[in-house]
Amino acid sequence: MPGNIRSVSFAWMVLVYLLFCSRRASVGAAPICANAQAGCHVLSLANLFDRVIQHSARTHSISNDLHSEFEQYFLPSKNHIGRVSRNCHTSSILTPNGKDNAQRMAREELTEVILKLLVAWRDPLWHFHQNMAHHHDFNNFSSNKALEMSDMVHELRKGVEKVAEKMQVLGIISNTVSSLASPEASLPSDSAEWRLMKDYNLLSCFRRDSNKVQNYLKILKCRIVPEHGC
Amino acid sequence: GAMMRKVILLLLLLCFTAHTRGKLHSPPAKPGLTSCRSPEKETFTCWWKPGSDGGLPTTHALYYRKESSETVYECPDYHTAGENSCFFNKNDTSIWVNYNITVVATNALGRAFSDPVEIDVVYIVKPNPPEKVTVTVMEDKGWPFLRVSWEPPHKADTRSGWITLIYELRVKLEEEIDWEMHLAGQQKMFNIFSLRSGGKYLVEVRCKPDHGFWSEWSSTSYIKVPDYFHREKSTWILITVFSTFTFLILMWLLHMNRHNLKHCILPPVPGPKIKGFDKQLLKNGKSNQIFSALVVPDFPPATSSNYEDFQVEYLEVYVRREQELVLEESKDLHNSCLKSESSTSDCDSGRGSCDSHTLLMAKCREAKEGERQTDRECSPMRTEAQRRLKDWEEEALNYAHAGIVSLEMSSGRVKTWPSVFSPLPRYSSSPLDQQSSLQMAKQLSLSTSSYLTQPGHSTKEALGQSYWDLCLSSKQPHLLNPPTPVCRELQAHSDVNISSIGHKRAPAGPRSPALHTTEYVEVQRVDNKDTLLLQPVVQGCGRMGGCFQMPHGEVYSKVKGVDSDNVLLLQREGMGEDRCPCVEQETNEVTGSCHKSCTVSTTQKPSGCIYTAVPVRDEMATMANGYVDTATMCTLHTC
Repeated sequence: MPGNIRSVSFAWMVLVYLLFCSRRASVGAAPICANAQAGCHVLSLANLFDRVIQHSARTHSISNDLHSEFEQYFLPSKNHIGRVSRNCHTSSILTPNGKDNAQRMAREELTEVILKLLVAWRDPLWHFHQNMAHHHDFNNFSSNKALEMSDMVHELRKGVEKVAEKMQVLGIISNTVSSLASPEASLPSDSAEWRLMKDYNLLSCFRRDSNKVQNYLKILKCRIVPEHGC
Repeated sequence: GAMMRKVILLLLLLCFTAHTRGKLHSPPAKPGLTSCRSPEKETFTCWWKPGSDGGLPTTHALYYRKESSETVYECPDYHTAGENSCFFNKNDTSIWVNYNITVVATNALGRAFSDPVEIDVVYIVKPNPPEKVTVTVMEDKGWPFLRVSWEPPHKADTRSGWITLIYELRVKLEEEIDWEMHLAGQQKMFNIFSLRSGGKYLVEVRCKPDHGFWSEWSSTSYIKVPDYFHREKSTWILITVFSTFTFLILMWLLHMNRHNLKHCILPPVPGPKIKGFDKQLLKNGKSNQIFSALVVPDFPPATSSNYEDFQVEYLEVYVRREQELVLEESKDLHNSCLKSESSTSDCDSGRGSCDSHTLLMAKCREAKEGERQTDRECSPMRTEAQRRLKDWEEEALNYAHAGIVSLEMSSGRVKTWPSVFSPLPRYSSSPLDQQSSLQMAKQLSLSTSSYLTQPGHSTKEALGQSYWDLCLSSKQPHLLNPPTPVCRELQAHSDVNISSIGHKRAPAGPRSPALHTTEYVEVQRVDNKDTLLLQPVVQGCGRMGGCFQMPHGEVYSKVKGVDSDNVLLLQREGMGEDRCPCVEQETNEVTGSCHKSCTVSTTQKPSGCIYTAVPVRDEMATMANGYVDTATMCTLHTC
């Protein structure tokens, strides 16, 4: 009997150790297939782009739903729009407003614009979600959407960063794209503005900006890797 | 005058009003923007609807203001898009910018402003329908399908990724009403299957940007599917043929097995299956013949095995000068009775001397038949009385027969005297000794009959009288030979004195010395008809059965009486010797001669010539003439 217990405990220990090891390996892991080793599945740039674009599409879809919901319940008349200040806090960021402008813009610039936008929206969305959670006017569905939106933007930003990194690695873009460590640094003056924005304005602004991001990503993709679905 | 003037003035005013109503000019009514659309997200057009112009030429102007700018611009192009439209070209179009557009109607009298409309070009995109829609019929393993392909509208720039379009097409047969919708996604090609052979199809395609409006349907494309091979029909033909074949085969199988089927569905009614039973005879109605077949000839088995079961006892028949007939009853009779009855429940049954009585009578009858023979030979002395006796005997025999039958039926009671007379059945399988006994029985009955005619001795029990007149035969083996001389002798004796006739008696061993020999008859057994089968025993054998020598004497025994113990006492008259020590008798007042008597226990199985006494009913114990009704005796208990 004691022999059995010993063996069992030993096996258990081994199992636990293995689990830890694997975990540690995943946490402190270097980028997957850093050295392009054999048998390692490398994600292609096109693949990355597709994923990111899908992500941005999802984000925009959610923002659209929330916006229409807001419009339905809180703004019965369209004329009301005019009275509301439509200054988004991201209007300072220079973004191309046309196809020509966007196509003329360099890849690095475009990538940076995307990143800026995504960074700028991290905090406002988080606060927006907080507001929604506390408001009794909103139902749980909307609150969940707001939370999802916030998370998605976060994910999207990481994804775009990865894409940029990949592009830099591949030499497609130069290393001028700086990883923006602190979001507040880019928009110090606007930091207080978004707090003043009403929920509806915020939603409108974000809806537009998510569309921009999606569009820019598509342009970027079709410019860099045009062979897949362009 | 004044009144008149007022009236005229009023009329004039009215006229003037009426006049001016038709021709009155007014500022224009408020126009309204109907829609703004952008086909490719690079330009857009707005349309408005003017209000009433107020009778004056009215001009409309569109003014717009961009987001976060107070500068008001006017529509750059009023003509490209048609009337009451404003076309914004690429330079004037900014995406992701809110436009505040207003239409102003102006005429000589005034202006009218429409309601402002805010638009963002991104959300008003409605592309043109897809172009170059081609539909072709293609074949896949013999089955046709439609391949529809198209191209995006040329204005929409999907290549640079500026616009992403998704497509949708619809198909229907020419004669149908409802369309069949297919969402194609971003692909520019689509296959349609499950076509009707020879049908004419209509195909249309449209597209939509990811956030925008559906385009109009493209122009209809017509396509006719060729008549491909009628596989459907051929399949049906095959199925029909196959099923027909199967059906035919099934029918044939059924036909071949119709008998089995018939047996299955309508099983025949089983007829009677009794061995030996002939249905035809039943139908003919002759029951006798039918049931005769059921009679098992061998039943009851007439084997000699029963012989062993019996206590061998001797039936001693004396033929005395004094015409005394001593009969020795054998216990065998009782046992044989018992045996015959085949029911041991009633002790009384089968044990009674009555049964043996019947046996005796059976033999009597048999003997009677033989008697006729002997009669002829021995009967010169026959008298008329004998003839009468004969008649009586017949009757008695009949009675006896009946009695036997009744005996059989009942639990072993022999009721009446007549039952004593029982026909002696013939047994083919009887052994020699049986035959001899039979023969002896015959002889016995012979003398019996002669005795019965004695008027003096005819009592009420005359019918019941039974006695054995043993006609000594010459030799055992030659039983068939009628013992003529002995018979005669018997006869003579019978005529003389039949005073004492005892039939059932306790085993009487004694023989008449005067008659020289005592004849012992051993009761073999009792047959199924309660007939006592006697077997002559050799004189010298004495107690033991098994000797079959024919004695030469006749001894008659007379029932003396029944004692208190229900023991039948037989008296031997004129007997001097006592061959069998176990003969129970006592002094007879009639004859006076007595011999040894021995009491025999009823329960004891006799050996040799020891017999069990026959229990007798008390009331019948004593009779004047010494006859005992064994029938009544048998009604008692332990026989």
